[in-house]
Formats: sequence, C-alpha cells, structure tokens
Amino acid sequence: MGNALFIVWRESAEAMLVVGILYAWLRQRADAAIGMRYLWGGVAAGLALALSLALVMLGIASSLSGNGLDYFQLAMMLVAAGLIVQMVFWMRKHGRTFKKDLESSMARNARAANWWGLLVVVALAVGRETAETVVFLYGLAAGKGGIADLPLVLVLGIAAAFATFWVLQQGSRVLSWRHFFRASEILLLLLAGALLVGGVEKLIALEVLPALVDPVWDTSRLLDDSGRVGGLIASFTGYRARPALLPLLVLAAYWITMWACLYRPRRAAAVTPASKPTPRRVATRPEH
Amino acid sequence: MEIALDSIRSYSLRWLAALGFAAFMVGPALADDVPLFKLVARDGVFEPATIEVPAGKRVRLEVHNQGKTPMEFESRDLKQEKVIPPGGKATFSINAMKAGEYRFFDEFHEKTGQGKFVAK
Repeated sequence: MGNALFIVWRESAEAMLVVGILYAWLRQRADAAIGMRYLWGGVAAGLALALSLALVMLGIASSLSGNGLDYFQLAMMLVAAGLIVQMVFWMRKHGRTFKKDLESSMARNARAANWWGLLVVVALAVGRETAETVVFLYGLAAGKGGIADLPLVLVLGIAAAFATFWVLQQGSRVLSWRHFFRASEILLLLLAGALLVGGVEKLIALEVLPALVDPVWDTSRLLDDSGRVGGLIASFTGYRARPALLPLLVLAAYWITMWACLYRPRRAAAVTPASKPTPRRVATRPEH
Repeated sequence: MEIALDSIRSYSLRWLAALGFAAFMVGPALADDVPLFKLVARDGVFEPATIEVPAGKRVRLEVHNQGKTPMEFESRDLKQEKVIPPGGKATFSINAMKAGEYRFFDEFHEKTGQGKFVAK
C-alpha cells in the first residue's frame, strides 16, 4: 500500500514539477489568462497521451510494434528535455514582465509559438510518467488485492500529487520571486539533464550509440541508484551509481553549455574580448 | 552555413544507410552468436533471480511476464527499462559486462522483484 502510493507520487512528481513551476510563473504575468489556457490544454493532452500510451504498453493497442514504443519514448524524452531547456531560456528572457507591465498585442502574437511549446512540454511531462502510473494501477487492480485497494491509492496518490503542487505554489509565495525563480530554473535544468541521460541510455540499449566505457566507476555504496532515495535522485538529476562514459560525457557537455549560456555571460559580457572585434570589423568595411 | 547543413544532412543519411546495412548484415549473425538467457517474471518473482553470464560478451535476455499483472523490467546498471504486459515477452540486448554483479528489478513490484546478473 505504502509502496503503491510512493510509486504513484514519484511518477506524478515530474509532471507536478513542470506544471507547478509554469503555473506559479504564469500567474505573475500580464498574459496569464492566455498562458493558463495552454497550460491546462497541455494537461488534458497529456492525460490523453498517457491513456493511449498505457493501452500500447499493456499490449491492448499494438500500433507500435517491436521497438516502435522504445523509439517513441526516446523521442518523448529528448523532445521534453529540449523543450524544458527552451522554457528555462524563455522564462529567463521574459522573467521580468509582470502583471503591471503593459504589453502590446504584437508581442503577444510573437509569443504564440512559445505557447504551443508550453502546451507540448506540459503534455509530455504529464503523459510520459502518467502512462506508467496507469499501467501500474491497472496491475494493482488485476493483482492479489483486487480492485479494493485501487480507489484509496488513487485518491491518496492524487492528493499527494496536489500536495507537491501546493508546496511549489507556497514556495513561490514564501520565497522571494528571485529565489523561487532561481530554484525552479535549477530544478528544471536538472530534470532536463536527467531526461537527456535517460535518452542516451535508451539509445545505448537500442544499440544506436556505444556506451564507450561501462561502467566508468561505481558509487553504489555511497548512494545506490536502485533504492528509494537514490532512485528518486536518479530520475530527477540523471545520477547513476554505475554510469557509462557516453551519458556522462553528454551530461557534462550539457551542464557546461547551460552554465555558459545562463550563468556566465552576465558578468563576462562586458569584459570578453569576443565582443570587441565586431565593431572594428564593421568600421573597416567602408574602407574597402 | 548552407554547406555545413548539407554536409550534416548527407553525413546523417550516409550514417543511417550504414546503420541499416550493418543491421542487415549483423542482424542474422547476432541471432546465432549472442547467447540468449531467459527470465520469467511472475507478479514480482524472478525465476531465476540470479543469472550467470559470461563476462566480456554481449548477451540477450528474454523476459517473459507470466504473471497476472504488468511488470516493468528495469536495470540502471544495464541501462534497460521496459513495461511488459501480462503474458508479454520482451528481448533485451545487453552490452558486454565486466566481471561483477549487475542488478535488475521489477519496478512495479520493487519489494520482491529483485534479481541480478553475475558476470564471470
């Protein structure tokens, strides 16, 4: 029972993280009403996606044969990782447009594409993990305990998911906006990194990419990634007790890129020599 | 920029073609040379729970879910994860293992569904 609840909570936590952060962020914005429509649209699309995926996983609907489902899941992971990173950049760029700011309708139209991105990222976050929850709950109903346990697990599981959502909303009120924003940015980047690691590992499992060295080291005595806590950390950060070299390299490249794009330039922009040659080149052009 | 894009496109096309060719050539060979191990999962019980495999050699693993409930075969050590419906089978291709132990588990029956490969 406790185990079942934990699984339902863990599987819904990723979706709650994405939906909760986006909700808290949208609420502050001038165009909150439009954004919310896309947010809840994404949730609805995600639930539909989860149900159809669950049917495929259970073998009831078998439109995806052989490795088809694996490749589809792989695509979902990589697209979700990409869109989450894009969301972080987008939030960073428009982070300061709060309710009081007046926005022209032109700017709103320009952002229409991003609203669809938001819808897709929410749908993927909800759909990916909820599908497994649906299959798991189906198993619970088909198992020893029968359907008796199901309603309770369902109600408590959903309650646990909403508690996560609520904590995130409280976080946005209790913490200063800046701190909440920073923290959620890092949580989202960690999640995208974990998805990236998962995607690369799936590519290795499908024999598309080589593992290079596997495993590179073993830290399972320090923190086991198959246990409850370690497993949770693994699925939210990409931590592996026995990582292969390739996902490790990809994760390192990812974090270096994120650091370079998001955290370095603010201080470095004014100083880097890279920005100086540009005006010089422009200046020399008329002489030729 | 155009040239770069073109070269990437043709590179990836060539790569895809090579991959297809390799799969065509290697596919039948794999089926013969790579040892296949069978594992039965029954609502959180693995039979056998310990599988001895040769170290340094690719292996394939067929997991047959003979239970009444779906299972999720997962191994972080071996980078595998797949939901298998009751009555369903799935085959995993597993990279050569160094000597040692590699755990796998049934994520939907975590308490009892634990097993491991022992590579020797």
